[in-house]
Amino acid sequence: MAICTGCSLLCEDIVATYENGALTHVKNLCRKGHGHFQAAFTERTVPMIDGEQVTLDRAIAKAAEILKSAKSPLLYGWSNSTLEAQAAGIKLAEKLGATMDDTSSFCQGILMERILSGKIPSCTLDDVRNYADTSIFWGSDPSSSHPRHLSRFSYYPRGEKRQKSYEEERTCIVVDVRKSATARLCSNYYFRVAPGGDAQFMEAILAVLEGKIPKVGDKKKMIELGSHLKKTKWGVIFPGPGMIDSLQDKMELFERLLAKLNEITTFKVIPMVGHYNMRGFNELMLEKTGFINRVSFKGGAAAHGPEHSALVAAKTCDAALVIGSDPLSALPFCTAHALARLPLIAIDPRRSLTTDAAKVVIPSAISGLEAGGTAVRMDGVKIKFEPIIDTNLLSDEQILTRIMEAI
Amino acid sequence: MAEVVEVIIVTVRDIFQDEAGRRSRFSDEYKNLSALIILDKQDMIRLEAKDGQKLLVKNDVGSVVVAAKTSEDDMHPGLAFMYNSPWSNQLVSDNVCDGSIPGNKRIKATLSTTEENMDITQISELQARMQS
Amino acid sequence: MVGAMEIYMLLPKTNCKKCGLPTCMAFAVGLLGREKKVDECTPLIEEKKYEAKLKKLREVMAPIENASETGLIIHPERCFGCGNCVVACPVNVAAEPTRSAVGLGPESEKVILRVEDGVVVANNLKECRRFGPNKTLCNACTATCPSKAIEFV
Repeated sequence: MAICTGCSLLCEDIVATYENGALTHVKNLCRKGHGHFQAAFTERTVPMIDGEQVTLDRAIAKAAEILKSAKSPLLYGWSNSTLEAQAAGIKLAEKLGATMDDTSSFCQGILMERILSGKIPSCTLDDVRNYADTSIFWGSDPSSSHPRHLSRFSYYPRGEKRQKSYEEERTCIVVDVRKSATARLCSNYYFRVAPGGDAQFMEAILAVLEGKIPKVGDKKKMIELGSHLKKTKWGVIFPGPGMIDSLQDKMELFERLLAKLNEITTFKVIPMVGHYNMRGFNELMLEKTGFINRVSFKGGAAAHGPEHSALVAAKTCDAALVIGSDPLSALPFCTAHALARLPLIAIDPRRSLTTDAAKVVIPSAISGLEAGGTAVRMDGVKIKFEPIIDTNLLSDEQILTRIMEAI
Repeated sequence: MAEVVEVIIVTVRDIFQDEAGRRSRFSDEYKNLSALIILDKQDMIRLEAKDGQKLLVKNDVGSVVVAAKTSEDDMHPGLAFMYNSPWSNQLVSDNVCDGSIPGNKRIKATLSTTEENMDITQISELQARMQS
Repeated sequence: MVGAMEIYMLLPKTNCKKCGLPTCMAFAVGLLGREKKVDECTPLIEEKKYEAKLKKLREVMAPIENASETGLIIHPERCFGCGNCVVACPVNVAAEPTRSAVGLGPESEKVILRVEDGVVVANNLKECRRFGPNKTLCNACTATCPSKAIEFV
């Protein structure tokens, strides 16, 4: 059995067959995971400096030299690295006095903070399968982002207390700006919100839960939703980027909604983490520094703040190391532009817009396929894995350790 | 002459585009699935556009030429969707509010039909802009 | 899915009866019901003027001819590989109470639906509830599909 590091569900029941350096047959991988596994055989990187192929040793030495001479380097990425690599990264950041941030900084971070501090109640996906009778996908579309979410945990499987499952015992509700693939599966319980309208919708739910008339939405439908939520025995909300982006600094409203729901019944929250080990990074940083992301180690002690977000640091730092991430594809144009002007070190198994712009490229083994390690699933469950393909490539952890030794 | 149409673009995910991007960010497959804007039927009519029509999408941050696609969703005039990609990110501001989250979900932009000789923005063009 | 009218438009529309049916419309219905084959319309095959129609007809008929005996058609190009159908199928659930039923990938050879190479595939269709003398109109697999990748004709 293999595990899939294609998303933060970390599916563990994958059966993959490789022959002559190609994936020949694989069972139980979704379409997205299949793309992830196929990626092992396309667009692989080689060690490079300024676009010229070099030996791995020279690339590592050059990376160390850049980081050592930088006054305020940024170490960015981390959500697609194992806990072991992240731990090596934190040590490197401490040694360099660097700024460290991950992809949670732009999305799930503000929710994850509240989950990890216990302000918002959470549970495991196995609890969801065993007990949940209401799953709310809010600004998330698992059918597109985490394809097996509904079949493994939140809607279709039979669980300990949910033997009649989706036919009789589970309801799936979608709150979104569009009728997504997931919304099509539960069209009777689809609530359309306008972009940025999530806070208003939340207030409307709070109103109906308190027996008041909601100010927005179809009043009859809102009242029906309110009574459904009141009748729920064990509910769970899966907030996605849509909700987080819309709420931003109004997260207290979501806390209030959860508090209200939990006065009436049981309601938990699991953030729809995208990358396979974003939560692992947040947990590890919290343990080591007291903050989940956006940390600067300048001057020794860990400091936290919006000025240490990669969006800001991209403009203020004088060198950057990017690991397992493609910010030039995924971040706003101005941030991509700011990163591209820097001496950039990219540690990545595969070619990306970031490796194309990097001064130094260091190829790495793909975790889950070519390198083992540990990761934390979106619900906090730790999952260990072994490699299934032999490789001579170094793991992220080994590369970071080598860079550290060279500094 | 077709109108210039103002829209709010929300970036969303698509499993086929995601899969293509995992195989290669530099393939035609990825470009064809990424350089798209999904529009309401009414907006398509206002633009006098059919599926595949090249549109110039423009705002204060930047501009891209992408292909139009009619939405299968219910009516949502004025609201458009793009899949997360280097194309959509050309239009995303890095001005952030207190939550420090870039505005991927509410991008204001104008749409207009392009001159015949304008092609879909290539990934190499996007890379050149980043590195300029 | 293609309808009888769409198929009819691609036939010679001469009602020549060479296929054994009284009208071209009846033949179209026969094709849709998989009781007739395209090749039984001999004018369409033999006369050059119908060449374009024949080509188009073969295209629209391909998914219907490939349908299994239960009428199940899978469109792999639309499939997300999410496994909703795998977990929802009552035959899968009965065959594997501790795997398919609880959301894990199937191991047993008895299941009908499983996900291979990123998309759903069907086996053992004789076990499908829509098959045989006691058939029911079970639609667990189509109702749980986010992308209309499974259909019954």
